[in-house]
Amino acid sequence: MREMRLPLLTCLAAACALATTAGAQGVPAAAPLRTIAVDERLVEDAGIRIGDTISLAARAGGPTTRAIVGAITRRGADPSEVARRDYKIRLHLTQLQELVAYEDRVDRFAVLATAGNADSARDAINAQGFGFRAHLSKDVAVQTSQTFAVISRFNRAIGVISIVASAIFLLCIMLLKVEERRRDVAALRLLGISSRTIWRAVVLEASCIALLGSGFGLVFGLVVSRLINAHYQEVYRTPLLFSLLTPGTVAFAIALSVVLGIGAGGLAARRLTRRPPLSLLGR
Amino acid sequence: MSPDPMLSAVDVSRDYPLRRDAVHAVRGVSLEVARGEYVAIVGPSGCGKSTLLNLLGAIDRPTGGRILLDGRDVTTLGDREATDLRLRHIGFVFQRFYLMPMLTAAENIELPMAEAGAAKAPRRARVRELLEYVGLGERAGHRPSELSGGEQQRVAIARALANAPSLLLADEPTGELDAKTGHEIIDLFARLNAEGMTLLVVTHDAALARAARRTVHMLDGRVVDDGTP
Repeated sequence: MREMRLPLLTCLAAACALATTAGAQGVPAAAPLRTIAVDERLVEDAGIRIGDTISLAARAGGPTTRAIVGAITRRGADPSEVARRDYKIRLHLTQLQELVAYEDRVDRFAVLATAGNADSARDAINAQGFGFRAHLSKDVAVQTSQTFAVISRFNRAIGVISIVASAIFLLCIMLLKVEERRRDVAALRLLGISSRTIWRAVVLEASCIALLGSGFGLVFGLVVSRLINAHYQEVYRTPLLFSLLTPGTVAFAIALSVVLGIGAGGLAARRLTRRPPLSLLGR
Repeated sequence: MSPDPMLSAVDVSRDYPLRRDAVHAVRGVSLEVARGEYVAIVGPSGCGKSTLLNLLGAIDRPTGGRILLDGRDVTTLGDREATDLRLRHIGFVFQRFYLMPMLTAAENIELPMAEAGAAKAPRRARVRELLEYVGLGERAGHRPSELSGGEQQRVAIARALANAPSLLLADEPTGELDAKTGHEIIDLFARLNAEGMTLLVVTHDAALARAARRTVHMLDGRVVDDGTP
């Protein structure tokens, strides 16, 4: 068994009622070493393995306590954790109290309510006036994720701007492409091909190009999305998805591109078919 | 006066308005073309030959006068009717061929027939027949870029004949070709006329004009001479 000494950077109490009860009586010095759960990042960075004995201190040079690594905790896909560089260790509450010398003082603790009783439990706790406030976990989540809501709106704004710019770009490209076919369209009109047939052909071609383009765009988006996720998951060591392509996004992108293709093709074709064929030939 | 005028132009004029003045491209031209005739319209550049051809072929509308094709006044036709007339009754051959680059020779020929609503099987048979007629039976699957200028023009002629028109109009059909391939086109036109096709050709090519049975000379928008070459 290896033994390691680590300054404890952050401690997160795995609060449980059983541990609290046991902690009230204190832990004897000769008691067998307790197990702790260690953050996978710490495991990776310090080369820790399950079964290792490590020394923990609340601050460098402070009193230490020894514990055995009993579990490795994986990081969840929590955006609020992404940029945090600190490590997490889960200790039994009594051990944590001993280490940080907070005794039974805690900043926060969680109460598990049965389904459907969360509101009434919160109200009951707050009505007692214990000197702290109870909040529903979903309210806390909403409050703490406000930053991400703003970022999400910001991303959506960028998306809308990109779509509008792409639409204008697609329209210009389509107008130019159809303009390049000016002579062909003029020749077809001279030969007696009706404006309606030409319009339909151009719109069909534009729709095919738009579909093909959206197909390429989709593949490109999937590849880029995977690369982005792989890169940032590696950088931040998190399973969090940074780029998400949902079926809804894909359907929206394809539908939008087809609609834009048809619109742009139809508009461009209309411009051409309304002009006399000789004027299309520059005569 | 022709005994059986298929095409008649009566005092036809075409003016192009400018800011203060107007360009008089065609000035009071009267012309009759009988069924089965082979007419060449000749004259210097800018004399109005192509403009007259466009008017006769219902591509453009005159500012004055009337044009009758088989007794039907084409100057009063709307865009849709004029387009349909060009599709079913008039064949066009242009100096620059105007073949669709993405289509094969066979598909280019098939295009007007598809537009006219011909069924697929007879359409394909007609394409084969026309390709054989212009001597390109082996080049059906070739795209225009894979054909020589003379071959492209022969495909364009086959395309013009696709819907069995009663009148074939050609604007400088040998203009982009060398003398040898130009002669092939002249021979092809002569063969078509011999088989009864009415032909009206605008040209600078003296050989092509000589091949026609009748030559109309134009100058400054007017017909100055009309007779045999």
